[in-house]
Amino acid sequence: MSTTDRQARFNAALVQAAEAGQLHDAGAALTRSSLWRDALHRFSSNRAAVIASAAFLVMLAFVVIVPLVKSEDPYAVDFSQAYQPPSAAHPFGTDQFGRDLLIRTALGGRLSIEIGFAATIAIMVIGILYGSISGFIGGWVDNALMRFLDALYGLPYLPFAIITLAIFGTVNFWTMVVALTIASWFTTARVMRGQIISLKENDYVRAARAIGARWYRILFRHLLPNTLGIVIVFVFLELPGVILGEAFLSFIGLGINPPKASWGSLAQDGYTAYQTHPYIIVVPSIAIAWLILSAFFVADGLRDALDPRTRVTREA
Amino acid sequence: MPDGIPSPIFCPPLHPAYMAAFVVRRVFWTIPVILLVILLTFGMMRAIKGNPFRNTERNIPASIQKNLERKFHLDKPWYVQYALYVKGVFTYDLGPSMLQRNQTVNDIINEHFPVSVQLGVFAMIFAVVIGVPLGILAALRQNSLFDYLAMAFSNIGFAIPSFLTSTLFLYFFALKLGKYTGFPTFGWSGWRSWILPSIALGLGPMTYFARLVRGTMLETLQQDYIRTAKAKGLRWRRVVGVHVLRNSLIPAVTAAGPLLGYIITGSFIIETIFAIPGIGKYYVTSVSSRDYSVTMGITVLLSILIIIANLVVDILYGVLDPRTRDQRA
Repeated sequence: MSTTDRQARFNAALVQAAEAGQLHDAGAALTRSSLWRDALHRFSSNRAAVIASAAFLVMLAFVVIVPLVKSEDPYAVDFSQAYQPPSAAHPFGTDQFGRDLLIRTALGGRLSIEIGFAATIAIMVIGILYGSISGFIGGWVDNALMRFLDALYGLPYLPFAIITLAIFGTVNFWTMVVALTIASWFTTARVMRGQIISLKENDYVRAARAIGARWYRILFRHLLPNTLGIVIVFVFLELPGVILGEAFLSFIGLGINPPKASWGSLAQDGYTAYQTHPYIIVVPSIAIAWLILSAFFVADGLRDALDPRTRVTREA
Repeated sequence: MPDGIPSPIFCPPLHPAYMAAFVVRRVFWTIPVILLVILLTFGMMRAIKGNPFRNTERNIPASIQKNLERKFHLDKPWYVQYALYVKGVFTYDLGPSMLQRNQTVNDIINEHFPVSVQLGVFAMIFAVVIGVPLGILAALRQNSLFDYLAMAFSNIGFAIPSFLTSTLFLYFFALKLGKYTGFPTFGWSGWRSWILPSIALGLGPMTYFARLVRGTMLETLQQDYIRTAKAKGLRWRRVVGVHVLRNSLIPAVTAAGPLLGYIITGSFIIETIFAIPGIGKYYVTSVSSRDYSVTMGITVLLSILIIIANLVVDILYGVLDPRTRDQRA
């Protein structure tokens, strides 16, 4: 089936849906959000991306639902149950304190994913602010900001995250978020600056300027909304790195502390017991890999779906 | 101008003087960069509440407290401390350790850093020797079973956290099969102890190289000059060897910069798991024991290493690909 063919069928289905009253403001919506509809359509015809988003949602569902369904106390210590192998009652076994690892993996995942999303949002906010200030103002401001970024570029995030945690002196949700953000926003800022600069050259921006639009209108109305696509892609690109960063910090014992669990601290528990119970480290690690891979393929599919350049080559 | 057609302005002649100017400009630029990174590290370290000599945990007479602070220049204003520290960095004298009485930061780095360098170099060799050919073969046999397997392998290898592979390596090859392989479960002495950590650390960069090389190879294979070379009747081996490889390995060179950061981060984990007395493991120890002069010294050292790697990569890239020279520096 050719692309135009598929497009035609898609349009026909849309019209049908509109006539059946399933779309709220039918006629207008078709033209208004055609870019996003287009992207959604392209995304949903990309098999890898669809499977990856399903896998991503399954993981989110796992960490949300399991703690609600399982009634066991994830913190209750019962040494008679220590290091139980996987069984029907404990599908992932139990840890050295006899705590069920299924519920702890889900709770740890919740914490890891929450930290991951919070830090990703922080990275995006800082990156967008820095990048758009630099790209929008241009001139010596841009030059200075970019030279500063050049200096920081490529620095390993882990030492700086560790020092940040030492500055706070305590490890909790928010200090972890700050630590994981502090040396991770450089790429996003660079990409955002590039986006703003290339968007600035568009005719509609010149037209807006010519009819006397103020700078904030140009920035917030014409430039930033057009970066939304790349921002969404970057959320899924940054998330795996941040979650891995959290896992690394907790694994070397400088992150989330017991009795709280994150995927990293669970992996550390597994490492301590690897000689006798090697399966304990496998579960949280596979969970991390699951999330990283699915986010990576979602980002890939989104980039293909949202990047206008690939659209041109595909339809040509 | 459409994409893909390089504008003639960006192809300056390969004049030695031009090249020299590019290199000199780029080298001089790293000095303020290093100063800035030291300043940031220095500022962050100062923001940490308390130092090992503050009187919170132990009782020290005021005079000794004063002497200690003078020894570490803690009684001077921050800019003097900073200037002294910069001088120390450039003369490679990072001061005494705050915790270990008879050791300087230099001693600690001299003792632990070579181990980490060895580990990193072995990991990198593994990554290049396996990853690059894997990418080349996958690209030459695009959409074949080999290609799918290689890419599946490299995607999974990319996603699995290094602490899982390391621990499983330890469990199977050192603990269970140790009788046959002779791999120890910890330490860094002799070639048997080098193999598992190097592979564990090199796995991530290996998958990265494989995917990168495959991508650039596929792109190069579609270029017009490849079609021309084929049309001229050149043997396929020669086309690949001379035209394709040369043009598609340049991005692999530039990947060395970011990969160094990856190796450094990874070495923190790998050295902890395999109990290797390297700089990453010591870093973690120094933070938990609040030996801040060591923490700071290692941070600055690693940062300078990254900055120099970026410098080398930029210059190499300029030499290998003349089109980039004008836009950089």
